[in-house]
Amino acid sequence: MRKSRWIGVGLTVSALVLSGCSAGPAGTNVAQDTKAPLELWTRTTPGGAGEQATKRLAEAFEKASGFKVQVTAIFDDFETKLAQRAAQRDLPDIVMNDVTQVGTLKSQGLVREIEQGKIKHAAELTEQALKSNQTPDGKLYGLPYSAQASALLIRKDWREKLGKSVPQSWPELVDLAKAFTTGDPDGNGKNDTAGLNATLSTKRGYASWYFSNFLWAAGGDFITEAGGGKYKPSMSTPESVAAVQWFRDLGCKDNVIQPGSVTMPTPATNETFEAGKAGLYVVGPYLLPRFDKALGKDKYEVVPMPKGAKNADVLAEGLSIYMMAGSPNQAGQDAFGDFAISADGQKIGMEGETAFIVQLPVNKNVDIAQVRPDPRWKTYAEIYAKSGHYAPSIPNWTPVRQDTADTVSALIADCKLDTKAELAKLDTKLTTTLQQQGISAS
Amino acid sequence: MTAANDSALGLDAVKSPGGRILKFVLYTLLLLVFAGPLLALLVSAFNNVSDPTALSVVPSSPTLDNFGIAFDLGVGMYLLNSFLVVGFGLLLQVVVSVLAGYALARKKFRFMTFVLVAILATLMLPEEILAIPLSLILSDLPVVHLNLIGSLAGMIVPLGAWAFSILVMTEFMKDVPRELEEAARIDGAGDLRIFAQIILPMCKPALGVIGVFGFTMIWDQYLLPLLVSTDASTYTLPLALRTLRIDTNVTPGVIMAASLLALLPSVAAFLFFQRSFVRGLASGALKG
Amino acid sequence: MTVDHAKPAAVGADRPATERAPAPKARRRSDRDGKWWTPWLFLAPALILFVYFKFIPMITAVTMSFQDVQPYLGNQWVGGQNYGTVLGDEAFHSAIWHTVIIAVGQTVGSMVIGLALALLMEGQSKRLKFLRSAAFLPVVVPIAVVAELWRIMYHPTEDGMLNSILGLVGLGPSGFINDPDTSMVSVIVTGIWRGAPYDMMIFLAGLAGIDRGLYEAATVDGASRWRKILHVTLPGLRSVFSILFVLAAIRGLRVFTEVFLLTNGGPNGSTEVAMTLIYKLGLEQNRLGVGAAGAVLLFLATLVLTLFVQVLRRRRDA
Repeated sequence: MRKSRWIGVGLTVSALVLSGCSAGPAGTNVAQDTKAPLELWTRTTPGGAGEQATKRLAEAFEKASGFKVQVTAIFDDFETKLAQRAAQRDLPDIVMNDVTQVGTLKSQGLVREIEQGKIKHAAELTEQALKSNQTPDGKLYGLPYSAQASALLIRKDWREKLGKSVPQSWPELVDLAKAFTTGDPDGNGKNDTAGLNATLSTKRGYASWYFSNFLWAAGGDFITEAGGGKYKPSMSTPESVAAVQWFRDLGCKDNVIQPGSVTMPTPATNETFEAGKAGLYVVGPYLLPRFDKALGKDKYEVVPMPKGAKNADVLAEGLSIYMMAGSPNQAGQDAFGDFAISADGQKIGMEGETAFIVQLPVNKNVDIAQVRPDPRWKTYAEIYAKSGHYAPSIPNWTPVRQDTADTVSALIADCKLDTKAELAKLDTKLTTTLQQQGISAS
Repeated sequence: MTAANDSALGLDAVKSPGGRILKFVLYTLLLLVFAGPLLALLVSAFNNVSDPTALSVVPSSPTLDNFGIAFDLGVGMYLLNSFLVVGFGLLLQVVVSVLAGYALARKKFRFMTFVLVAILATLMLPEEILAIPLSLILSDLPVVHLNLIGSLAGMIVPLGAWAFSILVMTEFMKDVPRELEEAARIDGAGDLRIFAQIILPMCKPALGVIGVFGFTMIWDQYLLPLLVSTDASTYTLPLALRTLRIDTNVTPGVIMAASLLALLPSVAAFLFFQRSFVRGLASGALKG
Repeated sequence: MTVDHAKPAAVGADRPATERAPAPKARRRSDRDGKWWTPWLFLAPALILFVYFKFIPMITAVTMSFQDVQPYLGNQWVGGQNYGTVLGDEAFHSAIWHTVIIAVGQTVGSMVIGLALALLMEGQSKRLKFLRSAAFLPVVVPIAVVAELWRIMYHPTEDGMLNSILGLVGLGPSGFINDPDTSMVSVIVTGIWRGAPYDMMIFLAGLAGIDRGLYEAATVDGASRWRKILHVTLPGLRSVFSILFVLAAIRGLRVFTEVFLLTNGGPNGSTEVAMTLIYKLGLEQNRLGVGAAGAVLLFLATLVLTLFVQVLRRRRDA
């Protein structure tokens, strides 16, 4: 009796849930109101400097345009909160989040297309940044407003103490890493320093994220385009295998990767570099303020990654402004996006000492050296322009990143595994993943 | 009642020098194993740069900054929110579970087993999966059509449905001897009387248990506050902690400082509730 | 005592049982006192809250397991596809196996050590009070902090904390969580470290309820400490054992956070458990339907296990 009551409740709920299918295409039939305040979500720590910077940008925008903006900062579980609002069919108007989300957000129908014609300053965006926000069909679903790339951070004091020069090639890099590991560069008589600091945990696909700095430059790739918007897995190509083997040797043969790397996500590896336990770290510019404070500017230097077999490509990432579906104020959305990418908006975003919302500007007319005189920023900007390599904007990059992270991390953790065999398995897995997204070439 | 029979092992009564040394060694070992690592926690809260490879017993760069930074990030407000949620939530849990426990332990009725199994079953589904459906319910409660999202009430009310406390109360209430209840009934007492004056007082240890565990469970809760909060003003401390952990600009020392603040109330709760479930000489025999 | 079939409308609480017309067989109730609706009255607050905040979401979750969940576009029915995804995943079988091992290891370890702790720390003295609070600390520290602490202690080189201690007794350095061969044991140890004080608490409460007179009698009869424990303490803790066992089984199968934070299922899937797999397949990739399917499977497994244990116990007691 009780059971049947519950079944009844269950059916009702299911019906309610299922009936949600009747909605039309995202964002087309909502009544417009240009006076409606814009709800903006940004992925940064509540109460932190990033939130304040976003609020500053929002205020400047309000003054310039008359639209009202309300800023909410959410960091962890951003996706869960967004899913919650999606289930309530009440999305915020603007979301500022990672560029890698563009595929997922689009395939879930949460963002609307951005018409470049309506955004005045879109013409001032760098090609690279613009392309990273386009889905394979060429349409624009996010507006880039910040960019960054990875550079090689070296413990300058250690390097000089051991009499080495800045590595210009990968063999020199390995040499330096070995010196850091065995040469006791911090002079404390203990064998406690490692060469390369690597984030190889499988959490959030970190291992893959870190390894991409060594894969593309060696001529390999996770997946390659096969024409017509389709992709095929490419971790078993000779170049990819060579890249993986080279990286693996660092850990299994030369022992220059920091101990415990396979269970370390970024907070732990940041600490490792900061505490002087490793001498080389490939990472973006957002850690400069923290390392300056903990280590001191003079202790470490920022240089481009040396050229690999193919080029010096490193991981480029960025943040985008997404215009969410179902907004009652599309004109306001467009205006905000336009403002954030304009030279003025970019400059405001770049202000700040410890946390700014714009790392490297995406507007061609903004020269980083003018806003941030620190020459290390110019280095980063040059690296981004020359060697920045974004992840492809497939419908969902996360599973690809996860699958590759699992394999890369495993190969470093277990030196008995066979590289070629594991990579072949990985390719099979990737094929399935690509098929699930409808973009498999096979 | 001698000291030797006050506890199962009667350790209090061991007075011989050999026995004392053994006790000392044993207790010290236990202390090191269970509380030792937390000393490191204490130390790193006062440390500027943490070594990720070793636990330090002495801060290498001592500072009180971490606490200041933590408070700047709003830790004070988060603490207050946590206290409010725990206070009311625990009250609700205790009331609900003692009432339910009485029915399940002392009464036989149709569908009793079914209800018991259903309640137990709620512990078996991971909360991450229930998260989205739960938040949908909270935004529009069936029948009463209230929206609890965005308020602390939304975090407090669902707490009353915790199977653990009901199960513990049920088991402990079962152990109260029938004779006491029968005697009371013969005297003409009704259910309410029996519940309040006979059964409940005999379950003080159980109340202590659900008090402590309820406190820790609610205090550490993270998913429910995440779903209910629409902005940081209703964040509880563990929720804020999780956010802080991922921010690259926040050093581990700050996290530890905030964690230290987060665990002090739980320890206090334990000290408070301890009294109820460790008895001794003075309280005499409850059971005959 | 007359049987009172008074109309349930006398009390306005939400009682689903009211739909049923009181049947004549109510006469053979075994409690000869009180109205038949009394238990339901006591249960009412719990039931209302459970229906709202547990049962309805659970049913929704089960429904989701048969759908491709797209919160905004609307869910689409996919039948058993999500279940196929979970069951067909090659990591699934090893994940189940790992879950069982970790669950058993943690349950047994925590209960044995928890009981030992409780027996050692039972008593009135101030010193014991302090000791108990210190021993309780692992439970109150946020699990994220516990994981960080243990990761540091498990540092795989020779001067990692635990390795130095092992070195003192002549054992070589271990890779702990970074080595696929030792990762599971390492996770279990961390779990026991946290679980033993937890169980100790409940054992203490149980020990408090044991009749001291029985200890007196045993001493008078000349029983040694061992016999006292065997014949007085352990039987008196029966209900505690049963709660702990059931709870531990449920907690064990659902183990997630410490594994997630320490190893994330690695290295090389050596500590992958059911929940981390569900998380990876479902939640991390925003496929809530798959996550729900995995959770339902886990739920059914736990339910079956618990019922099985209950049946065994009934049979043993009978």
